[in-house]
Amino acid sequence: MDLFALEAANAMVGNRVDAAAFEWALGGGTVRFERDCVFAIGGATARATLSGRVVAPCTTTYARAGDELSIDQIITGRFLYLACHGGVDVPLLLGSRSTYLPGRFGGYQGRSVKSGDTVPLGEPKAEPPAEGFHCAADLMPRYDTGIVHATRGTQEDLFDEAAWLTLSESEYRVSAASDRTGYKLEGPPLSNRSGTLPSEAGCPGAIQVTGEGLPIALMADAPTVGGYPKIAVVSEADLPILAQRRPGETVRFVLIPIEQSQRALKRRASDLDAIRLLATRSASG
Amino acid sequence: MTDARLRPHPLGDSAVTIAFGVERTSELLGLIHSAARSLEAANIPHVQDIVPAYLALTVFYDSLHASYEEMAATLLDACEHRARAIAHVALPSEHRIPVTYDGADLEWVCSSTGLSVEEVIARHTARSYTVDLLGFVPGFAYLSELDSLLQLPRRAQPRPRVAAGSVAIAAAQTAVYPLDTPGGWHIIGRTDIAMFDPARDPPALLYPGDRVLFERVE
Repeated sequence: MDLFALEAANAMVGNRVDAAAFEWALGGGTVRFERDCVFAIGGATARATLSGRVVAPCTTTYARAGDELSIDQIITGRFLYLACHGGVDVPLLLGSRSTYLPGRFGGYQGRSVKSGDTVPLGEPKAEPPAEGFHCAADLMPRYDTGIVHATRGTQEDLFDEAAWLTLSESEYRVSAASDRTGYKLEGPPLSNRSGTLPSEAGCPGAIQVTGEGLPIALMADAPTVGGYPKIAVVSEADLPILAQRRPGETVRFVLIPIEQSQRALKRRASDLDAIRLLATRSASG
Repeated sequence: MTDARLRPHPLGDSAVTIAFGVERTSELLGLIHSAARSLEAANIPHVQDIVPAYLALTVFYDSLHASYEEMAATLLDACEHRARAIAHVALPSEHRIPVTYDGADLEWVCSSTGLSVEEVIARHTARSYTVDLLGFVPGFAYLSELDSLLQLPRRAQPRPRVAAGSVAIAAAQTAVYPLDTPGGWHIIGRTDIAMFDPARDPPALLYPGDRVLFERVE
């Protein structure tokens, strides 16, 4: 859901950014390391301890075989990422190691990891970063602001100026009815000229508007096509900020031109390169 | 034909949706399907996925290496010159899908249409269908056009779970559910054919523009 946090956690432990890692939602739990392991946690913040010692977020941490990592309830955000040096050893399927729960394929046996599972880690190909390597906050998205940039959607001519004004000047609250497929947003309705259209492609971040004018932001497991008009699409650089908003928390949308949105995505990619470079240097130095 | 009216629009940072027209017709759909096949064959750098639909086709691309302006211009150019590439384009495939007609809604379909079970089956198997588009879940193909006597509105309450392999109808379309999912279509039968297999290449059995014929088995 929060691709940047996943990639950054991988970079901090010296993995390829697309290595498999654990995504941890809402609740707490405990992981026991069966072998020595270098790991980092990122994304949502939580009280975390490694065999009793506090684990700092976004910091490379060394665990010994037998150590237990306990994640208490998540404090801010929604999805926490645990990356281990060497990555989680799951097969590559359709170019991805991720789990697609509705189709029950991908990732670890096509399902969520549950109590009692032993999940294999891959063999590290390089030296791990030094213990205590910390990723600076200015290389991370501004999760705390709740400000989400977006570009105009493919049905921009089905919405009038009042709808655009409403979208960019209102607060929208993430509904309790929100999951990996989409986040329903509660706030002033967005009037549009057509309830549904012949289906066409959507994408994660697309904000579609139902007949009643209610916006729904499509998320990671969104269907590939849909028939609701799309008023806007969340900038990829800011999709992590929306993904980490909990039910009841609010967001504000700021409309920007596509060129600006693509520049922001490139900046995010270079921030990720910087994290990887700094982590790698810490290993050799 | 309608090339001068192709209208590109960004779908977020990493996709371009090109509108081909405003009215849903089988001619327009055919044009979009052939454009999608020729764009596939053209192997345009940085293009990651092509999603044809009723009025538009959408191209996903690597936006770290190509800007929207560049990609839109390249794609418009490729669409306008697609006739040149057509010789190398894969032709639509024809598929035969064996069906056991014993679906949970078969009786309801009979009573709603006034047809017998035999007549429903005969009408469902009598014609070949075109894959309009893929969507909803991986491998779900919207097939048309259903016999007019079989056309019924969707269920008022979708089922929370429809089994993979269920053959169903709704409005002017028919489909096979590729995965266990919620569903609001009327289930008339089932097949053992895997509509989606992540280990297969390509994983989806059907591609937009393909033809499908259902065959009755006991």
